[in-house]
Amino acid sequence: MQEKVEAAPILSMNSVEVLYDNVMLAIKGVSIQVPTGEMIALLGSNGAGKSTTLKAISGLLKAERGRISRGEIAFQGTDITEVLAQNRVAMGICHVIEGRRVFEHLTPDENLIAAAPRGMSRSVLNAEKEKIYDYFPRLAERRNSQAGYLSGGEQQMLAIGRALVTQPSLLMLDEPSLGLAPFLVAEIFGILQKINRKEGMSVLLVEQNALAALEIVSQGYLIENGRVVMHGTAAALKSNSDIQEFYLGGGEGTNFHNVKHYSRRKRWLS
Amino acid sequence: MDWIFLTELAINGALTGLLYSLFAIGLVLIYKASSVPNLAQGGLTMVGAYVVLALAHDAGLPLWLAIPLAAVIMFGLGFGIERVALRRLAGRPVIMILMLTLGLDIFLRGTTLAIWGGTSRSVELGVSYDPLILSDIFISRIHLVGAGVALALFVAFMVFFRTRTGIKLRAIADDYMASWSVGISVEHGVGLSWALASVVAVAAGVIWGEIQGVDQALSLLLLKGLTVAVLGGLDSILGAIVAGIILGVIENVGADFLDPLVGGGSRELIVASVLILTVMIRPHGLFGRHDIERV
Repeated sequence: MQEKVEAAPILSMNSVEVLYDNVMLAIKGVSIQVPTGEMIALLGSNGAGKSTTLKAISGLLKAERGRISRGEIAFQGTDITEVLAQNRVAMGICHVIEGRRVFEHLTPDENLIAAAPRGMSRSVLNAEKEKIYDYFPRLAERRNSQAGYLSGGEQQMLAIGRALVTQPSLLMLDEPSLGLAPFLVAEIFGILQKINRKEGMSVLLVEQNALAALEIVSQGYLIENGRVVMHGTAAALKSNSDIQEFYLGGGEGTNFHNVKHYSRRKRWLS
Repeated sequence: MDWIFLTELAINGALTGLLYSLFAIGLVLIYKASSVPNLAQGGLTMVGAYVVLALAHDAGLPLWLAIPLAAVIMFGLGFGIERVALRRLAGRPVIMILMLTLGLDIFLRGTTLAIWGGTSRSVELGVSYDPLILSDIFISRIHLVGAGVALALFVAFMVFFRTRTGIKLRAIADDYMASWSVGISVEHGVGLSWALASVVAVAAGVIWGEIQGVDQALSLLLLKGLTVAVLGGLDSILGAIVAGIILGVIENVGADFLDPLVGGGSRELIVASVLILTVMIRPHGLFGRHDIERV
C-alpha cells in the first residue's frame, strides 16, 4: 500500500463519522483524498458505506436525517463540513445520485435547464447544453421527449449531463453502471474519461463493478463496514489477490478446484 | 325545450366554472411545485379577501391600490408559511404535509373570525349588478370579469412554467432529492409556489367576495376548487381551466333538470359525484401527468 500524491488534493476527507437519526453509525472514520484532475474509485460491497461517504461530501445527508458527527471535509482548502448542499454545488461539487433519478416529467432539455446555476446567462447555458449533447449524442436525438421514457442508459447519461450543467470541478457518481448492459457501461465510462481529460474535472466514482471502475481510475479506495480497508493505485489494486478474489471474480488462471474457500476470508474485517 | 334558456344556463355555468378555475389555479400551482395538495387554499382565499377589505375599507385606501398591496402582503405570507411550517416537513410523507395544510386552513379561519368577526361584508368592487344582455341571454358582469381574470392568470402561468424558474419548480415536484443534488433550492421553490398561490388567492377572494360576500363561507370554496383541480389533473393549469368550464356547465344545467325532481340542493350532489367519479375512473384527471412506468 503506497500513497503517491502528485497534485494538491481538491478534496480531502479526514476521519469522518456519519450518524443517521443520531444513532446509527454508517461510516466510522473514513479518510480519502481526491487529487486535483484525477479519477478515484470508491469500491466495496453493498452497505459498506460508499453512498454515505458521497452524501457526506455533497451535503445530501441532511435530507436523510444524517449528519457528520466527527471529522471534517475540506474542498479546495476550505472546510465545507457545515456548508449547505446547494452552496456546495455552487462551489463546484456535484453528486450524481444513485438510481439515475432524472426529472421524469420534464424533457432532457428541461432537465438540463433545471440544473442551471442561478445567474447563468442564456448564452452560457446554451453553450453548456450543446457541449453536453456533444458528449452524449444519444441525448441530443431525444432532447424533446419525456425523460421518464428514456432507456436506462440514456437516463444515466442525462443524470450525468444534468450534473455537468452545474459546472462542477469535482463530479461524484454513485453506481452509474447499476442495471446497465456492459456495452453501455463501457460507453458511459469512456465518456467520463473523456470529460476528465478534456475538462480536467476531478471524478470520484462509487462502484460495485470494480472491474470496470479500475480500468479508468488512477487510484482506488476499498471500503468495508464503514472503514477504508485498502488504498492504492488502480494497477496495485487489480493485482492484489484479495481484491481479485472478492471483487473481480477470481484472478487469472484461478483453478476453482484448488480454491480452499474456508481458508480465504476478508482478513481486514476481523 | 327552451334553447335560449339552456344556452343561458350553459354560458353562465361556464363563467361560474371559470371562477372555480380561478380558485383551482392556486391549488395547481402548489401541487405543480411540491406535489402536495394544499387544503389551506380556501383559508388563504378568505384571508386574501379580508386583507383587501382591511386595506380598502378600514385603512381607506382606494381599491386599485388596496388589491395590489394585498397581493404583495399575501406573497410574503406564502413565503412565510413555507419558512415557518413547511420547511421542517420537507422530505416527510405527504400525509403529514397534507395534515399540516388542513391545520393551517383551520388556523386561518379561526384567525379571521377572531379579528374580523363572522358578519358578511361586501367588497364593493364597483362592477354593475345589471346583467349584460346579449340577444336575450342574461350574463352577470362580475362573472365575466372574474372569468377574464382566470384566463389572464392561466396565460401568465402557462408562460411562467416555461421559464427557467418555472422549470425548476416542476423539477422540484418531480424529485426533491435530485433537485437538491444539482443545487436547486427546494425550500425557496416551494416557498415561491405558496407565495404565487397566495397571490392567486387574493384574486379569487376579491371576485368571490364580491359575488357572495366576504365571510367564513369563502373558505368552503375549497370543495369546488378541489373538484375542479382533481378533474383537471392536479398539476395541469390547462386542466384547471377546462375542468372548471366542464364542472360549471354540468352543475348549472344538471341542477336545472334535477332540482325540480329532488326539490333543490342537487348542485352539491353533482359536484360531489364528479369528484368521486374522477378519482375512481381517472385518478390523474383530464390532463394530469401519469406516473411513468416503463416496461
